[in-house]
Amino acid sequence: MEVRHVYRWDLDKTYLRTDFDTLRGLLRAAREKASAKVNVAGSRALVRALQERPGARVAIISGSPRQMRRKLEEKFRLDGVEIDELVLKPNVENIVRGRFRAIRDQVGYKLPALLEGRSRVPSTASETLFGDDAEADAFVYSLYADIVEHRISAAQLSPILELCGVYDDDAERALRFASNLPKGPPIERIFIHLDGYSPPARFEAYGRRVVPIYNYFQAAILLLLDGHIGPGAIVRLAVELTQGYGYSLVSLANSFQDLVRRGLARAEDLGAIRLAFEAHAALIEKLRPASEVVQAFVDRLKMVSGMKPARVRDEAPIDYLAILGREGPPNTWRRRRRPKPRRRDLPF
Amino acid sequence: MPPPTIAFDAMGGEFAPTEIVRGAARLSLETDLDIILVGDAPRLAALLGGMRHNAERIALHHAPQWIRPEENAAEALDAKPDGSLLQAARLVASGQADALVTAGPTRALLLACDRTMRLLPGTEKAALAAVFPTELRRGEKDDPFSLVLDVGASLEASGADLVRFALMGASYARVISKNPVPRVALLSGGAELEWEHPAILAAHAHLERLAGIEYLGRIEGHLIPRGTADVVVTSGTVGAVVMRMLEGMAQTVLDLARYAYHERLSWRLGFTMVAGALQQLKRLTDWEEYGGAPLLGFDRVVIRADPRSGARAIANAGKVAAKAVAHQVPGAIADRLHLHAFGEGFERGRAAEG
Repeated sequence: MEVRHVYRWDLDKTYLRTDFDTLRGLLRAAREKASAKVNVAGSRALVRALQERPGARVAIISGSPRQMRRKLEEKFRLDGVEIDELVLKPNVENIVRGRFRAIRDQVGYKLPALLEGRSRVPSTASETLFGDDAEADAFVYSLYADIVEHRISAAQLSPILELCGVYDDDAERALRFASNLPKGPPIERIFIHLDGYSPPARFEAYGRRVVPIYNYFQAAILLLLDGHIGPGAIVRLAVELTQGYGYSLVSLANSFQDLVRRGLARAEDLGAIRLAFEAHAALIEKLRPASEVVQAFVDRLKMVSGMKPARVRDEAPIDYLAILGREGPPNTWRRRRRPKPRRRDLPF
Repeated sequence: MPPPTIAFDAMGGEFAPTEIVRGAARLSLETDLDIILVGDAPRLAALLGGMRHNAERIALHHAPQWIRPEENAAEALDAKPDGSLLQAARLVASGQADALVTAGPTRALLLACDRTMRLLPGTEKAALAAVFPTELRRGEKDDPFSLVLDVGASLEASGADLVRFALMGASYARVISKNPVPRVALLSGGAELEWEHPAILAAHAHLERLAGIEYLGRIEGHLIPRGTADVVVTSGTVGAVVMRMLEGMAQTVLDLARYAYHERLSWRLGFTMVAGALQQLKRLTDWEEYGGAPLLGFDRVVIRADPRSGARAIANAGKVAAKAVAHQVPGAIADRLHLHAFGEGFERGRAAEG
């Protein structure tokens, strides 16, 4: 079947709960068995729901080393998830060639990989992207989306890659793919999983396309409203979150209120959620009777009745050079975002 | 059991709403508490958007009005029925939240609670309680804090009020500090009885023959930091003055130490050597560390944070509130007051028969 929509996922901190902030975490991630790897809450259920859609393609681009391919493929098998494309980073090759900057570099690795992946699907295929706030996913994905939509030319891309500190050969690859890419439909959404609880306002510079989310229930609501998943999928996800990951009815209702406050969903959209819960009452009853579930959402919505949602941002072009000027090259973002110990002028 | 829901009056306090929102954001990352921020929702949402927080644990409740400290509390509450403090109190009274935390004006808080909640049977006045660090440790948790009440809920207190404050304070110390037999004392102006306030004398006479608490008698102010008593009972005006003075003194000691640190190199070296001890002293006397003072006497958990509260104090006030909810403080106090009322009735009946 022809590919109609591509769901591109990052792996660590987006699909899997991986700790790569410490050396110990990195070593554990490399050693642990496929069965020991833990999903980000709801990621498995969401991917399974997305791939049910006719013409859907699920691609994963990860910064994990290529040596982990077998373990990761085993993990996806265990999850019952069929991955159409799994791209991993040539870390050993980078070390052998002395390209140490490339080990941390996200733009030089991910952008050409994304563009290459795009060249393999029909130009009419639309896309939804999933990343996290640990590194530079919002930046790379937005850049990719603008290239696909022909909002950025190769000439404009070149200085951006230079400021990102991308190696020449990677930059050349990215530019080559970018120049040859036919114009595609807009990238619908870029979901950024706030694994590190970054302030959502940090992503405002990337426009409305980038949607920071606290959990995949929020993504599922928006994907339900966009017609990507069915009502059964959101109910299954809610049940999985509450039964497997310690979520409560209140935390799900709070998540919906958060979307409404940020202007990403409207109060009226509760109607679609209500229909989903009522249509799958038998399933949701594992949690509570459908009417109680809906009431919890209504109660949280009532709390903000009379409040105007956040102003819809203008769709101005993203100024990548300004972002880089402000925040420096993306490979330094993870380090800088860790809270710095406060300096004391006195020992007491 | 689900985690407690804490309603924060996000518009109350000198640094509201920013510091209240920061405190709640911090709490959402450190605990699994369910938080409701009551206030000007668009403003709160904008503030939250710029902060690290867990939105799964925070809900906003829109309240378009709020009370300013300079306003007359009663008039302001009448004029602003949708005020953030009143709305937060309503959420707690209706059971949608388990506890209220505010850094807003004390008088407005008292009136808001009075209008929405119920005083526990056997209580006529609520009392604001505050903790103060002392030399001694008490209870199974080695708690270093004495409880002082009332520290500002009411201007005057009768002898009967002071007895009830003693019972409420003892119940609080019993459940929160896990101190099975708290030692209770009345704060006194001096040893001479003829100079003592009549209310203190009346309470003293009553407490001396009251079973079920360890009553130490009347103590003077300098014994509070020593930790002689676990619960120190006084009227609101005196309690507020005493607590402010004790906090001010601790701050002055640290300020003097800081001043001296900058004065001479040899002093600086000396201070560096005892920096650990000074840091511990600072931690112990830091009011932001304790979060807030419980308002005892209502059928719901109410915590009043200092109006100067920053994010840390607000987060700690939320934790104090959660602890009070988990230990069912109002229920424990109600039980003790009920027992007291029963005992009083029994005594009266026996006296009548005799």
